[in-house]
Amino acid sequence: MQNYNSKFKIIKSLFVFLIFNFLFLTFNLNQANAQQISLAISPPLLEVFIKPGKSILVAYKVQNFGDPVILQTKIKSFEPQDNLGNVKIKEKLEGTIRFSLDNSDIQLEKPFFLKTKDSQQLLLRIRVPEGAPEGDYYYTLLVETEPPPTKEGQISGKVKATIGSNILVTVTQSGKIDIKGKVVLFDTLFGKKINLWGKKIKFFDSGEKIPVVLILENKGKNLLKPQGEIILQGNFGEKAKYEILPQNILSQSQRLLLATPSASVDCDNKNLKICQKPFSILLSGFFLGKYKLSSTIILGEEAPYLFASTSFFAFPFKLSFGVFICVILVIFIIKRFSKNEE
Amino acid sequence: MNKFFLFLFLVFLLLFFSQKIFALNMESPLYKIQYGEIGIAGGKKSSDSYQLSDTLGQLAAGEFQSNGYIIKAGFQYLYSIIPFRFSISDTRIDLGTLLPNTPSTASTTLTVSFGASGQYLVTAIEEGKLRTLNEQNFIPDTQCDGGINTCNETQAKIWTSNNAYGFGYNMNGQDIPTDFINTNYYRPFPDRNNNEDPAIVMSSTNVGKNRQSTMTFKVNISSIQPAGSYQTVINFVATPSY
Repeated sequence: MQNYNSKFKIIKSLFVFLIFNFLFLTFNLNQANAQQISLAISPPLLEVFIKPGKSILVAYKVQNFGDPVILQTKIKSFEPQDNLGNVKIKEKLEGTIRFSLDNSDIQLEKPFFLKTKDSQQLLLRIRVPEGAPEGDYYYTLLVETEPPPTKEGQISGKVKATIGSNILVTVTQSGKIDIKGKVVLFDTLFGKKINLWGKKIKFFDSGEKIPVVLILENKGKNLLKPQGEIILQGNFGEKAKYEILPQNILSQSQRLLLATPSASVDCDNKNLKICQKPFSILLSGFFLGKYKLSSTIILGEEAPYLFASTSFFAFPFKLSFGVFICVILVIFIIKRFSKNEE
Repeated sequence: MNKFFLFLFLVFLLLFFSQKIFALNMESPLYKIQYGEIGIAGGKKSSDSYQLSDTLGQLAAGEFQSNGYIIKAGFQYLYSIIPFRFSISDTRIDLGTLLPNTPSTASTTLTVSFGASGQYLVTAIEEGKLRTLNEQNFIPDTQCDGGINTCNETQAKIWTSNNAYGFGYNMNGQDIPTDFINTNYYRPFPDRNNNEDPAIVMSSTNVGKNRQSTMTFKVNISSIQPAGSYQTVINFVATPSY
C-alpha cells in the first residue's frame, strides 16, 4: 500500500511538472521575443593591386555574438560619402571585377545560418577578367540579416542589420599607378580673424585648444595613401611634430587627413563648438606669440612632395582680462579703505 | 559551521577572481562581450625573403607580394586585432496597439565597436512605409509638429503635439547627428520606395570601444486611420571607413 502511494506521488509530481512546462512554454512565448543582433567582420578593409587576368582568394571571418541569425552576403559598389572616409553604397555592382564564394556550402546572395557565438569563414574569390580596363574599383562586402517574421495584430518595425567590409581594387597591367595630389585646405579652425594690411591674421586665446584641418585631394586615377607630418613651430624655437596617418584617398576625391598624437575632446557633449566640425589634429597647451604650422606630405616613392603652411597668434586674452579686473578691484578696494580711514 | 563559511568564502574567491582571467566577456541586455588582452602577436615581422605587416585575428591580415597582385588587409597603422562589430539590442520594434492621438514609442540600442581607432558610419532606411499586410493602408512619415517645426529626412525638429501624425525616430547617445538636440526631436525615415538615400544615424571620425546610441521609434495616428497590422522593415547598414 505504501509502495503504491509513493508511486502515485511521483506520477502526480511529474504530471504537475509537465503541465507547468506546457503552460510556461505556451503562454510565455510571446513575451520572450527580444532578439539581439551582434555581428563582427574581419578584415574590415581590403586593398588589392592586381593585373588583368589574375584572381585571388581572400578569407573573411564573420562572427555572431547575438542570437542565431540567417545571413546573406552581397557585394555592391560604393563611392565616397564625404571627405571623412565614409562610404555611400550604390544599389548595383559596377565594374568588370567578378566576385564569388569558394565555400562549398555558401554562395553570394544565398542565405546561410549562423549560431550564437559561432563564426563563418567566407572565401571570397576576386577575379579580374583579361582585358579589364585599368583603374580603381571600389566595393563593399555586405553581410545582412533576415528580418524577423511578421506578427499579426501588431504595429511594428522589423529591423534588418547589415555589416560591411570595404574592398579597394586597383587594376594595373604594369604596376605603375597614377598619383596626383593637391592640398585643398590647411588651416586652423575657429579663432578670431582680423585683416591687417591685406593679410588675414588669426588669433586664439593662449589656453584654447586649436583644431587644425588638412584636406588633400586625389586628382589621379588610382587611390593614394599619403604619409608625412605636421610641424608646429613657435617663435621661441619650440617645435612639435605630428605624424599624418596613412589613410586611403580614393581617386578623384578629397579626404580630411588625421594626424597623431592629438589632444582629445569629449564630443559626447554636443554643445561644444570644437565638436561641430571634424579636424585633423587638436593642438593643446599654453600658446604665446606667433606660431607657424607646416605640413609635408609624401604621396609615393616617385611622386613629388607636397608642402603647405599657415600661422596663427595666441595671447592670454582671458588671463589678461582676469588680471585687469582683479587690479581694478584691488585699486577700488584700496581707495575705498583709504577714504574711510581719512 | 566554520568549515561551511570557509567553503563559501573559497567559492566566492574562485568565482570572483576567475572572471578576471577570461579572455572574452560578453555583454548585451542579456550578456556582455568584451575582448580581453590577447594582442600578443600583432605587429611587423620580417625575414630575408619576406616582409609582413599583420594584425593578429584577421584571417587575411598582412601584406604580401606575389606574381601579379599585392593584397593589404586591415588598417596597417592601427595594428588592431578587434574586427568591425555592429550590434542591435532588439530586432522587433513593437509599437503595441495604437489609440488615436496617443503617441506610442519603442526603442532599440545600436552599438559599434572598432578597436581603439577607426572611422565608421551607420545608416538607416525604411523599406517602404508602415503598411497593412494587404498594402492598402499606410501610416505616413512624420513631419513633426509642422510649421517652423517641420522635419525631414536630414533635419530633426520638435514632435510633441498629439495632433501631429506619422512615424519617425529620435536618436540619443554617442556619435549621433547634431540636429537631435533632445529626445523631443524627430526625423522621418528615408523611404527606399521613393529612391531616397539612407540617413546617417551614427558616425565618428574617431571611434572607441562600444560607441552606443538609442533609436526611439514613435508613431501617432489620427482617428480616421484604418485599423490593422502595420509593418515595415528598417534596414541599418554599418560600414567602416576605407
